[in-house]
Amino acid sequence: MSTMESPTIPAQQTTTEPPRTGGGRRRRGVNREGLEAGKRSTRTILWILLAASLVIYGFPFLYLLFTSFKTPIDTIAVPPTILPKVWTLDNYVNALGRGGVPASFINSIQTAVISTLLSLVLAVPAAYGITRYKTRSGRVFIMAALVTRMVPPVAIGIPLASMMASVGLADTPIALSIAHTTISLPLSIWLMSSFFEAVPQDLEEAATVDGCSRLGALWRVVIPVVSGGIAVTAIFAFLASWNEFLFALLMTAVRSQTTPVVIANFQTQFGLDWGSMTALAAVYSIPVILLTLLLQRKIVAGMTLGAVKG
Amino acid sequence: MRIPDRRFALYLMTPAALFLAVFVAYPLFRLVTDSFFKISPIVGGPRDFVGLDNYVRAFTSDAFIGAGWRTLAYTLMVVTLEFALGLGMALLFTTLGRKSQVWRTMFLYPLMIAPIVAGLLWKFLMIDNFGLLGTLLSQAGILQNPNQIGWLSNPDIVLFSVAIPDIWLTTSFMCLVLFAGLQNIPGDLIEAARLDGARAPSLLFRIILPLLRPVIAVALVVRGIDAARAFDTILIQTNGGPQSASQTMSLLIYQTMIRFGDPGLASAMGTIYLLAMLAIAFVAVTTIWRPGKDT
Repeated sequence: MSTMESPTIPAQQTTTEPPRTGGGRRRRGVNREGLEAGKRSTRTILWILLAASLVIYGFPFLYLLFTSFKTPIDTIAVPPTILPKVWTLDNYVNALGRGGVPASFINSIQTAVISTLLSLVLAVPAAYGITRYKTRSGRVFIMAALVTRMVPPVAIGIPLASMMASVGLADTPIALSIAHTTISLPLSIWLMSSFFEAVPQDLEEAATVDGCSRLGALWRVVIPVVSGGIAVTAIFAFLASWNEFLFALLMTAVRSQTTPVVIANFQTQFGLDWGSMTALAAVYSIPVILLTLLLQRKIVAGMTLGAVKG
Repeated sequence: MRIPDRRFALYLMTPAALFLAVFVAYPLFRLVTDSFFKISPIVGGPRDFVGLDNYVRAFTSDAFIGAGWRTLAYTLMVVTLEFALGLGMALLFTTLGRKSQVWRTMFLYPLMIAPIVAGLLWKFLMIDNFGLLGTLLSQAGILQNPNQIGWLSNPDIVLFSVAIPDIWLTTSFMCLVLFAGLQNIPGDLIEAARLDGARAPSLLFRIILPLLRPVIAVALVVRGIDAARAFDTILIQTNGGPQSASQTMSLLIYQTMIRFGDPGLASAMGTIYLLAMLAIAFVAVTTIWRPGKDT
């Protein structure tokens, strides 16, 4: 129906400037750029829709927070209440005072930092090589990276653990961060490839004409342009490790156990202590939520400004 | 003096390739080798070559076939819902423009939550008796009583219930990726189409979605692979139960290896699982996205 009415747009038209009725001046409600909605009433409905989705989307985590301040009896009360009847910090004291919990935080941080650095150092040049030169080996490699992403951790966890043990790295943050890099490296290569894809080739060509070597052009011209993309990639790599559970379950014992394993163990070792579990889950989640929200401005800027506008 | 581009590209890729060869390809090689042996779970125990016996056992076991179908159903369900919701949110944010930035940031928060935490949280919301979800739905008059739906105890719906945390967690990822893609569509192009009289549906299906195709392909393939490997959320919610109704392939392999102590059979299952995913992903990639080619 309406698809029939719309005339097809010739490719050339993408480059021509559309006539500006508002003389470049932005009036409220009309003549917004691109996809932005025009009518005021439409916008109001969309805002309400957005607010409703965000309330529904945000509620589960708020409930986790509320539960972490409840007393043990309130936690499993029937019917459950949303807010605690009595607010208490007991769950936090219990959870953080439990043996192994503080050490698990340090392990989680160490593992995630090492894994993020390793992923970036390996992925940035690889993704650049794949997207810029489009060689046959590049195509083979990105397919191989795709295959790697399909490998179930459950399948390689055991052989990896025994490899690490044979070089004396059993139950260490290094061993676990290497395992986590097998997850984040392919993802990082993919993400970086799409960011590099968006950089026009003219940019380095201009740099090389000006006497830059290819590595110099990559380092001084291309990397700054995709720095927003690198930040996004780093966040994904960090989170992949911070939140990973299966490798941590298979490859760590006491010394290098990360917090997700400790959280999961609450369920079996101490019965169903929902209060402490929600408290520890909150403590583990909130720092990364805050950190990412802070860095978010940078990411959004990196994505929306774009380095070069076509 | 100057090395050829082709070789320069190769040098750039070598470190990452070496890493993946040592830490992924070699363990995989071990996996495939192990699948031809009957292995005692005790360290240093006997290893007997049994040929294809483990594969025969896998294909003739109901648990394996069942887990295969469940994994497929789970993956399709998760990816479809996430894509629909993620695209909806991305379009919503785009149409609302710059002012929605703060909200957009808030919408991203589940991305940072560990799947194990999400699984626990939703288990707590859906658990029988004191789960909040049933209570809220009955207070809203949708359910007659809070325990009418046994989210995690009814084998008929448990596969859907265990998927909820996964969808909740990663709709944000879909939204983020699609939103980024939407920002790269030149505003001029949309305006030109508008001036030519294009309405919202034709804008979406004739212009936006085709232009987003590479981004959509990446998002769908990445998330599809992840969903097919889902483990944490399901393990923590149901451990594959009740009556194996939420036992997907990752859980079955884990349980075969760790609980039932049969690494040979688990390796054979892992090998088949990997090959199946490869075949499906190969078809998906070649039909919707061709990496490294200009189209």
